[in-house]
Amino acid sequence: MSTAPATRKPNDYKSDLKPIWCPGCGDFGVLASLYRAFAQMNLDPVNTVVVSGIGCSSRLPGFVSTYGVHTLHGRALPVAMGVKLANPELTVVAVGGDGDGFAIGAGHFPHAARRNVDITYLVMDNEIYGLTKGQVSPTSLTDQKAPSTPWGNLETPLNTLGFAIASGATFVARGASFNTKTLTELIVQAVEHKGFSYIDAMSPCVMFNNHQEEWKELVTDVAPDHDSADKVAAFDLALKGGFKLGILYRELRPTLGDKYDALLERTPDSDAAAMLDAFSARKGVAIGKPVA
Amino acid sequence: MARQSVVIRLAGESGEGVISSGDILTQAAARGGYWTQTFRTYPAEIKGGPCMYQVRMGQERIHSHGKDVDLLVVFNQEGWDLHWDSLADDGVILYDATSVEIPADFQSRARPVRMEQLAKEIGGSSRAKNMVAVGSVCGVIAFDTTPIEELVLRRYAHKEGVADANIAALQAGKDESADLKGSLEITHPVESEEDRVLMSGNQAIALGAIAAGLEYFGGYPITPASDILEWLSAKLPATGGITVQCEDEIASLASVIGASYAGKKSATATSGPGLSLMSELLGYAGTAEIPCVIIDAQRGGPSTGLPTKTEQSDLNHALYGGHGEAPRVVIAPTSVEDCFWATVDAFNYAERFQVPVIVLTDQGLATRMEVIAKPDLSKVEQWPRKTAKDANGEYKRYELGGDDISPMGIPGEEGGQYVATGIEHDELGHPAYTPHNHVLMQNKRWNKLEPLKNGAARHVQIGDAQPEIAIVGFGSTFGAVREAVERAQADGLSVGAFYPRVLGPFPAGKVAEFTAKAKHVLVPEVNFTGQLARLIKAETTGIDLESKAKCDGLPFTAEDIHDMITEAAR
Repeated sequence: MSTAPATRKPNDYKSDLKPIWCPGCGDFGVLASLYRAFAQMNLDPVNTVVVSGIGCSSRLPGFVSTYGVHTLHGRALPVAMGVKLANPELTVVAVGGDGDGFAIGAGHFPHAARRNVDITYLVMDNEIYGLTKGQVSPTSLTDQKAPSTPWGNLETPLNTLGFAIASGATFVARGASFNTKTLTELIVQAVEHKGFSYIDAMSPCVMFNNHQEEWKELVTDVAPDHDSADKVAAFDLALKGGFKLGILYRELRPTLGDKYDALLERTPDSDAAAMLDAFSARKGVAIGKPVA
Repeated sequence: MARQSVVIRLAGESGEGVISSGDILTQAAARGGYWTQTFRTYPAEIKGGPCMYQVRMGQERIHSHGKDVDLLVVFNQEGWDLHWDSLADDGVILYDATSVEIPADFQSRARPVRMEQLAKEIGGSSRAKNMVAVGSVCGVIAFDTTPIEELVLRRYAHKEGVADANIAALQAGKDESADLKGSLEITHPVESEEDRVLMSGNQAIALGAIAAGLEYFGGYPITPASDILEWLSAKLPATGGITVQCEDEIASLASVIGASYAGKKSATATSGPGLSLMSELLGYAGTAEIPCVIIDAQRGGPSTGLPTKTEQSDLNHALYGGHGEAPRVVIAPTSVEDCFWATVDAFNYAERFQVPVIVLTDQGLATRMEVIAKPDLSKVEQWPRKTAKDANGEYKRYELGGDDISPMGIPGEEGGQYVATGIEHDELGHPAYTPHNHVLMQNKRWNKLEPLKNGAARHVQIGDAQPEIAIVGFGSTFGAVREAVERAQADGLSVGAFYPRVLGPFPAGKVAEFTAKAKHVLVPEVNFTGQLARLIKAETTGIDLESKAKCDGLPFTAEDIHDMITEAAR
């Protein structure tokens, strides 16, 4: 039972570690939005787990007073799934960067989405590898010059919002580190959403890929008449790209946890003793089938 | 004179009833009160390719699958061509009447069996071919078919005609070998009230995991470990636990680590290629000190290798795999029965020492069926994890001192918040890179395992305590070694075997003590480079050992080991 105050303030979610990010980094805005969103929902830090991969943004769990798992590069989502399935009472938020989530970790993303694991995945998308000093990432623009692409990026950036919708994510939104009001609201809605919620948070890297001023000019809100239940319209919005902040897509579908609950509900109880008995040499097992 | 045990080998094309005949014989033998052990080879393809199923049964406990074949049942010509040279000198042959030709020198001890024809006459299709084959075997070994009939009736309880046809096919098969009746008569087992079970190594592991309190299992299909995922998927929900078939082995172990972080007993199962993929996470679990159990049913390597053959070549990987130096425990069960107990131990070591534990079996042990004494569940212990509520005063996740096992906060537990991380960290779990701190933490992570070197781990020793001919091995080879040692002792030799069940941390002192008076130290293992032999050399001094490594994808027979001992004694 929690002894923390009934109503928590954003500061209550700060750990005693100071962020190690560069001054001006977009991730500060994302972290501030996360503190505010947690406070708005009055989440109990004892029942909240923030999971990350590796990268600048993946250091975030260290700056939050909840439980946290700083996993390996690309592995935040399967670890977060394990945490959530093990204890469905927990609020689980996975965070990380675009390289972490969509290069090395891309193999996990569609599966977390299609399984509809009831977690939130908040990606701080700066379109670059910051921690390793500025190489291109899967979301970097074509022709972008970077240390590993001195001739310009030959590849086409991944449309993560379209990827999320196609994969079966049930909540897909875009926010920006420099618009903390909207981002805070999106995080609240994503965490309260039952199912896999994905937020692409534009979060400029001031050292290696500083699009901050440009992005600020470009962003607009998702049109108020956009129907977020309309998958085709959501795809349309995602594929057109642009800088629409807000919820693109939302649907309610049973979560993986719901499915397991139902499975456990309809499975008759048994134990090791009964299972062992079924192997009894004397009783034998049905012929024609391997022992099961 | 009746025999104490017989070796029956069925051989033919995969998919034509060889495996089902072997299963029926095995289960009937177990039901009839015999001890049995099986050995199978099968192609990596789903249908087609040669396969073989060997059943050894006897009135005494069977520890290995046997070598010379007493009764060879061939379903096709290839079956004969591949297996005739495994026959014992007085071995008997039953062969499919229409498709197999037997050379003249063997004909006096060979009998044709009209497998297909009789099956069709009786049941209208070739489906009951296996029952004809099984019936012909029963005649030769003078095995009462009652247990088989009971099993058939149970299997086809709702299909009366089918049961009758199968039983008729069984009897017709028995008649086919009538003139060899009892030529390989097997001694009838002594009636025993002892509880016995028939299961595979994989099944024993899955049951051991449930008995140990498994709550979350994440896995990815791979030969020869998939049975564990499948069996647990069917059974674990009945205990309130769940299994997830993940997108790859990385996600499997990652989800296991997540579930364990959240306080659940968690495990995965794989084979060599999967263990390779898990290596980075193995290091993570070792560094962040998160308990987890990883079953590695080894198969022939390297790379994709021999997926359906056996090998013990992941020992190095299990002990050292991954970058940096991350602690882990490696435990190798020595029999199907030990698969159960080693898995229980694995969970207990994982939980107590907050460390990943690898259970090393192999294709031979994982897939063989064995009649074993029923594990006594009252002897299963469940060691608890030290959590934040066990902290002395201020909670520090990676607190130094004492037994080096520090309290692990579990989400939901008040005051236990911390961030698990693979970055080097201080007592609070905060990133810390100072030289001094790294030394302290490496010491903490490795020193906590010391009790496993000094008594906490159970090992297996048979024969003389300090023999002249000492055998040191690990895992699945134990059965063959046990049988060979018993025989060599009966020959009057000073011989014994020591099997470290826990190979990491390695019980060097115990191996040194065991080999102190040995003139020969033999190290049999199924791999190319002699990994255990190298481990012993690295961990001990002054042991002049002889590596007996082989890498043909097949398990050792007791005869192989007995030959080694005899040669050493010469």
